[in-house]
Amino acid sequence: MNVAPISRRPLASLKGTVRKVRQQRLLARSMATASEPTSTPTNSPSPLPDHNFFTFPDRKTSRIRTAFAVYSLPRALPSASKTTLIKTDTSPLPPQTLAAPHPDPLPALCRKQISLLDPTGARTALFARTNRDAARVGDVLMVTHRRGGEPFAGVLVSIRRAGIDTAILLRGRLTKVPVEMWFKVYNRNVAGIEIVKRAKKRARRARLTYLRQPKHDVGDVQNVVFAWKKSRNVLSTKTRAPGEKQRFEPKARK
Amino acid sequence: MAPRLPARCWRQIQLRTSSQSPSTSTRIVRAFSSTPLQSVKYGWSTLPKQDKPRRFNQTSLGLPAPTTGPAAALARRARTTPLRTGVLAIKKGMTAFMGKSGTRIPCTVLQLDEVQTVANKTRRKNGYWAVQVGLGTRNPVAVGAPMLGYFEAKGVSPKQHLAEFAVRGEEGLLPVGVQLMPDWFHVGQWVDVRSNSRGQGFAGGMKRHGFKGQEASHGNSLNHRTIGSAGPSQGSGSRVLPGKKMPGRMGNERVTVQNLPVLMVDNELGIVVVKGAVAGPKGAVVKIQDAVKKPPPPVEFIEQTRKLLDERFPHAEEQLEAARKRHLELKEARRAKRIEEIMAVGVVEGQAQGQAEVVA
Repeated sequence: MNVAPISRRPLASLKGTVRKVRQQRLLARSMATASEPTSTPTNSPSPLPDHNFFTFPDRKTSRIRTAFAVYSLPRALPSASKTTLIKTDTSPLPPQTLAAPHPDPLPALCRKQISLLDPTGARTALFARTNRDAARVGDVLMVTHRRGGEPFAGVLVSIRRAGIDTAILLRGRLTKVPVEMWFKVYNRNVAGIEIVKRAKKRARRARLTYLRQPKHDVGDVQNVVFAWKKSRNVLSTKTRAPGEKQRFEPKARK
Repeated sequence: MAPRLPARCWRQIQLRTSSQSPSTSTRIVRAFSSTPLQSVKYGWSTLPKQDKPRRFNQTSLGLPAPTTGPAAALARRARTTPLRTGVLAIKKGMTAFMGKSGTRIPCTVLQLDEVQTVANKTRRKNGYWAVQVGLGTRNPVAVGAPMLGYFEAKGVSPKQHLAEFAVRGEEGLLPVGVQLMPDWFHVGQWVDVRSNSRGQGFAGGMKRHGFKGQEASHGNSLNHRTIGSAGPSQGSGSRVLPGKKMPGRMGNERVTVQNLPVLMVDNELGIVVVKGAVAGPKGAVVKIQDAVKKPPPPVEFIEQTRKLLDERFPHAEEQLEAARKRHLELKEARRAKRIEEIMAVGVVEGQAQGQAEVVA
């Protein structure tokens, strides 16, 4: 607000100015706290926490009808010390402060969990929207299970992005029977996910459910997987395969 | 025995004697009075004093302890009352933990938003042991004058929600004004979680109570989801028995989920993560307390949490005392319509002046 040029203004603006001043006086009257700081913790040895006054104005007169002290302890963010899943975190706060709550704990917890389950970030990167080399629907993927057994290969039908619950749906064949399987990307049982073959064209759907129709069914992908394995074996003796960088946790595979 | 005089006759004598000799204690004056003060408030009685026996079984006489009454009731409930207080929390939503063996563990995230103890309920004053706990902060505009005075006397800022947690004994009580953090709970312990379920509105018998409904065909007309008969006819009273399950409001009622394991506590995020689901929508207020049907957390852990509270809030007792004193001063000032002056002067001078005014 520019106060100085008021006198230089024409008299016609006086009305507005008066109105503004009146509004401000109203505001001051109905404000939740008194204008001046009421306690001086440095001077007084009183253990009383900092407080202001909440006032109830009298409707008829402009005076204060009654007032109550409203206390407020200083807020502090709790220390970001190590939190483990097994042991209780017992880092003391500075005394006589309230720990302010985290504004949105659920995504923060999710990030913490993902960083624990996927320290290298490979699993996240494989299905990240920002990654150009990420797997997309229509690609042929192969998932290796930690408990052994035959790796499952199939066409990526859909990606369900839900933080720690992120999952992929693969459609393949087991003993000539069409099978669809969901895999949780961050599950410890999923030892590795590899891109066997990229789709020729970018799919124009987010979920390729039409692959379930006989007309569009891709069918068996074992031939593709065999070919890919062969080429990889040939290449891995000399150089690295092109698909190698998409893989993670290669130790767990064998 | 001559009939006793009415109390109003004696009161004159009592008043006169007490005014004449203030040095004599009230005990002596009461010895004159023959009317039982406790049982008869108004009027008078000719019954002998303490006609009704108050205590039946005096254990000091070698008799068995009474099995009824407040003390017996508390003793009965002791086994199912947790040792220590619980906390209020807000349901933030569900997520999952991935277990070591590849299992997916669904869990609920509950956030503790500035949870503070507000008051203690004692056996002597209230008849039971409990801790009153507050959650969140509320704008004083939305708080009425009586509650503002209540919080003023406790020295805590106005809380959004208040709830009581019964504890077994005096050891479960906590100093007023301390903040309870998620590390109040031990990872691996069991808790009972109480909250209000989602309100479903007016629901029919099939949805509300799982009734079967009726046939789709065989001559059924417009009665496919109705509840059918409400009871037997003549011979059984031709009436609907109380408590008959019928259509009505469904949900938005207290639901307790027992024995949920605590998977994780995090002071930084202020969350307690429990396994499984908890009733109610996101943002619901939830009560968490040690499970009744499972062993409590280890004794060492409970001691450790109490020690931590003392470390974090070493001056809680003094603060409460100071707040109480200040509250009494302000209360007197409010009665005397001098609150404005106290506010103008400020706290330090205001205390001295306020007292002077009150005395004057």
